[in-house]
Amino acid sequence: MNYLQPERLDRLAREYVLGTLTGGARRRFERVLAASPAASLAVGAWQQRFSVLAASVPPMQPREATWQQLERRLFPAASKDMPKAGGFGAWLAGLLSARSLGGALAGVLLCLAVLRLQPGLVVPQPPSESLPQSYVGLLSDTEGRPAVLASSLRHGRQLSVKLLQPVAVPAGRVAQLWALPRDGSAPFPVGVVPDHGSGVVALADSSETLFFNVTRLAVSLEAAPAQAGAAPSAPFVLIGPCVKLW
Amino acid sequence: MNPTSVPPPDLSALLARIALRERAAFEPLYRATCAHLLGVAYRVLNDRDRAEDVLQEAFMNVWHNAAGYRPDVAAPMTWLINIVRNKAIDALRSGKTERASTVALDDEAMAVAGDPALEPQRLLDDGLTKARIDGCMAALNASQRQALALAYYRGMVHTDIALALNAPVGTAKAWVRRGLDKLKDCLGAAGVGA
Repeated sequence: MNYLQPERLDRLAREYVLGTLTGGARRRFERVLAASPAASLAVGAWQQRFSVLAASVPPMQPREATWQQLERRLFPAASKDMPKAGGFGAWLAGLLSARSLGGALAGVLLCLAVLRLQPGLVVPQPPSESLPQSYVGLLSDTEGRPAVLASSLRHGRQLSVKLLQPVAVPAGRVAQLWALPRDGSAPFPVGVVPDHGSGVVALADSSETLFFNVTRLAVSLEAAPAQAGAAPSAPFVLIGPCVKLW
Repeated sequence: MNPTSVPPPDLSALLARIALRERAAFEPLYRATCAHLLGVAYRVLNDRDRAEDVLQEAFMNVWHNAAGYRPDVAAPMTWLINIVRNKAIDALRSGKTERASTVALDDEAMAVAGDPALEPQRLLDDGLTKARIDGCMAALNASQRQALALAYYRGMVHTDIALALNAPVGTAKAWVRRGLDKLKDCLGAAGVGA
């Protein structure tokens, strides 16, 4: 079926936004939507039209507990008094809920971290979510706990970094990220990562050029950001695989 | 319900900051939009607890996916409503079987139906009046309007609508289609989403 024939696209888009497109047809349309700007625009136009109907819905103030739970789930560092048993559970819960969000970050977290921790647990991605071609690295600490997730679009020039747990960086030091080539040649510096939260590292070239032959990423604590051509002067505190996501 | 005299925050700017993981932008976005969004989820689910769960899931999604928001495609509130409504509809459909077998009398649905101001038909009329297209939409008959209202506000599919309005499924589908055609025409004539 040619989904992109304009009248058909408009009919599908409106039933999709309304919610009356169901089952397999809905999933097929979501796949079209992920790949087609024309479909996104048609859906956007119908969302805009329906917003006229949403405007008359009476507001309803949520309970304060809803915000508090949301905050705890999103920013667990803010609630350090959580019981230890909840630490891993909360992390995994965050992981699993992130799964539904699509995006390279969530998808790879799932396949690397969940499969690593629970090899028997294979959770399929919803079929509608296709991940963009990306390079992704998952660095673990010396005890094997996932610590840093790094991802970059294949032809992108920036690397998104997410700290899965804070990294202890002593004053006067920086957490320097290194790329380790497949052939065992010298690591080269990628950039400095934050010690907690998330950040974006500007790359010296496209991901494809930099990471095509890289199989591992690592972090060492350096006195200053490493310049091109420099070598690590301190041991790696985090290390993990760098994979092509396609 | 929640009137405020301070100017509303710039939701696009907040979303842009959230996309950069700026935590300080998240609570203002939540506070500015949560009541309206909970209203949308509650219309679909008829269950306050489930609606609040959906709201929470939706904002998890917003935090992680704000970078996917495209200002050229949709207004911020439109984008947020869409996330909440989709999650509410998913929750409605995934919970339907379970509830049908465990809840004999849906008293929450009765409570909503008992308040005429909250009925879907009335919401539709209010929405059309606010957008000043009520005159144009008057070309639809009562069933066509009702079918559109049930689909939008209650997240009903064609078979639900057919059941609720005591009509064959094909007729319910035709009513919804006609309602959507007319909505597009009327909004186009009014200069919205043409």
